[in-house]
Amino acid sequence: MPWRKYMVIYRSVLLENLQYAANIVVGFFSYAVFIYTFIMLWGYMYQTPGELIAGYTKEQMIWYVMMTEMIWFGSSASSVAREVSTDIRGGNIAYLMNKPYHYTLYVLAKYTGGWSIRLPMYAMLAVVIGTALVGPLPRFPLAAVPAMALCVVLGLTINAVLKMCISLFSFWIEDATPFQWLYDKLLLIVGTMFPVEIFPKAIQPLFKLTPIYTVCYGPAKLIVDFSPEKCVEILAVQAVYLLAGCGLMFLIYGKGVKKLYVNGG
Amino acid sequence: MQAIRVENLSKTFRVKRKEKGMRGSVRAIFHPQTEEIQAVNGVSFSVEEGEMLAFIGPNGAGKSTTIKMLTGILYPDGGRVEVLGVDPTKRRRQLAYQIGTVFGQKEQLWTHLTPYDNFRFFGAVYDLTERETEARIEELSERFALREFIDIPVRNLSLGQRIRCEMVAALIHKPKVLFLDEPTIGLDLVVKENVRELIRQMNREEHTTIFLTSHDVGDIEKLCTRIIIVNDGQIVLDDSVEHLKSHYPNEHAPDTAVHGREHEAAAESGDISDVSLEDIIVEIYKSQGET
Repeated sequence: MPWRKYMVIYRSVLLENLQYAANIVVGFFSYAVFIYTFIMLWGYMYQTPGELIAGYTKEQMIWYVMMTEMIWFGSSASSVAREVSTDIRGGNIAYLMNKPYHYTLYVLAKYTGGWSIRLPMYAMLAVVIGTALVGPLPRFPLAAVPAMALCVVLGLTINAVLKMCISLFSFWIEDATPFQWLYDKLLLIVGTMFPVEIFPKAIQPLFKLTPIYTVCYGPAKLIVDFSPEKCVEILAVQAVYLLAGCGLMFLIYGKGVKKLYVNGG
Repeated sequence: MQAIRVENLSKTFRVKRKEKGMRGSVRAIFHPQTEEIQAVNGVSFSVEEGEMLAFIGPNGAGKSTTIKMLTGILYPDGGRVEVLGVDPTKRRRQLAYQIGTVFGQKEQLWTHLTPYDNFRFFGAVYDLTERETEARIEELSERFALREFIDIPVRNLSLGQRIRCEMVAALIHKPKVLFLDEPTIGLDLVVKENVRELIRQMNREEHTTIFLTSHDVGDIEKLCTRIIIVNDGQIVLDDSVEHLKSHYPNEHAPDTAVHGREHEAAAESGDISDVSLEDIIVEIYKSQGET
């Protein structure tokens, strides 16, 4: 079974991270401060109960930010970019390539093992903070939670694949960090801190073509305003993005690995 | 049968050059300068199955680059490589199932996991069944005397214990060729001797081909039957260790007067082993540096 080895890599990271689960709790503080700031901000912006801004009620808007930040904090996709860039620039990739697995899938399996502990912990924190300070989302369909979870998981996997594609350019350029920075800031400002609908109507369709839709906006929007049609649409776009992203990742890796220069030989 | 066949292998690296100071850094942005370095230049050799070969040379001679091309990590610019009949550049992953690597200066084990969990991990990576992995762990932990610390996280082990675990991880899938890059670096004399004995044992019992790179002459002398010396990306000597020790001092007596005399004296006393292999290797390195 070719996937067994990736499952074992996943399990090994899970075992490793379980020893440090307490460290994750330290990150809760940053998340709580962030969310508290947004609760205050949106509390100031929404002046009357039931008011809509860009089609969102105050509760939906705050839950939206809590969900996107949960994905951001819980997935820690920057670790993928850091690991790949460091492996290529430091030459560590040489010791990982001579094993019978695909390096990119090895990194993805490790990443999945990392968020498998972190993300559920952040999800629980988000539910506690949200329920206590904002109140539950009205008409939240509990039966749709598995579909929402699938969208979130696909979203953060696509994010990791795209970040890996950027990092793989380290085979050609010395440092891919500036490109990572641009990509991260795009996701953070458009889609994570604010939903796409906040921005001018003219550029909204453009945003929906970018990874913003599949990585953060789509899954978070689905959680705060679920509909089966929207769910199918997001899953379909995610499937296309994942296939195209993986194809691109294998292509860049295949080309780049021939350019590998390892320090000390 | 040949385990490794290398014909006219070449590899060139392009490295950046930068002038000194801030001015040089600014100039490098607008006028980047690069230089080509010929790391490996037309190397040819072969290794028989079950042979124990020392592939040595001074720092920067091209040893590691050659090993990395043999294991499919680097792509050659020219020439041909075959390891166990497989071209590493085309079928790296297929080859990975048949070779093992131990890098003395680089940990392959997951330090937060125990050796046992690491071995199970590597067993799965090499597509062994659970039963095969367990049997192999049982066999190797007995042979490498790991029982005492097999359930202690790797980060808490001594260097000697770690290296033994590294070797078990590299051998878990019964590789036919084992690449050892300075396997005894940093080890004390007793542990070094243990590790060497284990390598000899693997070669004897499993007929594993050993391709060793080391700056420790003890490793070469006690393990290898054949030695290849590289310098500036080219092979400068390919000989049996015994032949080198017994003939080099005489053949090069005019160049290495001191060692030539030492050798003659040793020959007269009937104890040819008095001439140290280390001296011979240093002499070869020096003579290459002069040419």
